[in-house]
Amino acid sequence: MPQANAFRFRRGDFVAVAFVFLCALALSAGLWMHRGPSDAVMAQIYQDGTLIEEIPLTGNRTLTVTGSYTNVITVADGKIAVTSTDCPGEDCRHTGWIHVAGGSIVCLPNRVEIRLVGDGGVDAVVG
Amino acid sequence: MKRTLLSLILAALLLLSGCKAGQAVPASGERYQASFLTLFDTVTTIIGYAESKEAFTAQAQQIHDDLLIYHQLFDIYNTYPDIQNLKTVNDNAGIAPVQVDRKLIDLLLFCREIYDSTDGRVNAAMGSVLSLWHACRTEGIDDPESARLPEEAALKQAAEHTDFDAVCIDPEAGTVFISDPLTRLDVGAVAKGYAVEQVCRSAPKGLLISVGGNVCATGPRPDGTAWVVGIQNPNGGDNLHTLRITGGSVVTRGDSQRYYTVDGKQYHHIIDPDTGMPGTYWRSVTILCDDSGLADGLSTALFLLPQEEGQKLLDRFGAQAMWVDAEGNEYLSPGFSDYIRT
Repeated sequence: MPQANAFRFRRGDFVAVAFVFLCALALSAGLWMHRGPSDAVMAQIYQDGTLIEEIPLTGNRTLTVTGSYTNVITVADGKIAVTSTDCPGEDCRHTGWIHVAGGSIVCLPNRVEIRLVGDGGVDAVVG
Repeated sequence: MKRTLLSLILAALLLLSGCKAGQAVPASGERYQASFLTLFDTVTTIIGYAESKEAFTAQAQQIHDDLLIYHQLFDIYNTYPDIQNLKTVNDNAGIAPVQVDRKLIDLLLFCREIYDSTDGRVNAAMGSVLSLWHACRTEGIDDPESARLPEEAALKQAAEHTDFDAVCIDPEAGTVFISDPLTRLDVGAVAKGYAVEQVCRSAPKGLLISVGGNVCATGPRPDGTAWVVGIQNPNGGDNLHTLRITGGSVVTRGDSQRYYTVDGKQYHHIIDPDTGMPGTYWRSVTILCDDSGLADGLSTALFLLPQEEGQKLLDRFGAQAMWVDAEGNEYLSPGFSDYIRT
């Protein structure tokens, strides 16, 4: 057989390449659709600088952090908030419901920081 | 068959590289974040990229230690062993000059400058007035039932002792003397921003440092992209906007940062020197400015001024601002929108 054949694409190659591209397309589409805005965001809860809990912003749940004071943290509708606290000033509760990665809720009196981590958020928040 | 396999592998590689392209991969190292809750009565966050957690932690700790020096020097409520700080200066008002660290001299010289250039809107010699508010706010937060406003007569009397000329700074001798026994220094309006600015100047490039809403970037991320900074809605919840910054500072001054409630009405901590009462023009003002100390000072000044007068200050210092009023309307200085991402 002629040597040139060695460099010629055969029908099988096209099929294989097309197949892989289709797979890639399907896979990226699947990955992309799975990346809901709050899907990837996790809430890390620190007290005195130590990570004490890491929870996704999915489903509904409530957890209580005790210390000098008691913060009740609620996750609902893909967002998180301190919904009840006995700390002076209640700054943490006033921060309200947050869900964007990079955002945080801080309770200085109880030495608690709720830090949202994940893609597509902000690096810091002012205000 | 061999070549079919080869093309499969090539295509698979293509697929893999395609997946990677979706993420922002920094030029060097992993992303790390450190928080401290012990400085300036607020939360300090440091974000950066480093080769290892240890390398980043060392950087963050250095920044913390540098900030701690300023924290202690600028403190008007506590004393520290072997440090003559602002409390020492205040305690010696009308008594004697106090030998202080050069850092404190430089801060007070900066306070003098910003006092002059804002016609006294930003007045570090207003401590006597601010301490009355501080006492009522602290009591009111601890015991909301009996929250009260400072007495008008006391505010009026305190307001007579707020002339910065009573603050005698002697850079050569390294001393500060408050000549009026009833005048007190309170540098809350600029302390955080000023400290952040000084620390950022000697910090490694490519970090984002936030001290209670005073954000400073020491250059872009290592991959050259901008940092994204959210501006919080004064009513809580989601951000009003997100900004892109590759250097310089963003500072927000707002009525929801420190306040207490008396008879159902909120009283915040940004006090108008003319009235002795919390400023009422705006809900929040965000400043974009190269110098973090200046940004901090301007945010207080603009919070206490109508928009046109604030704009004059911005023009003078080459800064940008966004004002948010009580109805939630936003007003932007001409160059501010260049920084808005969303």
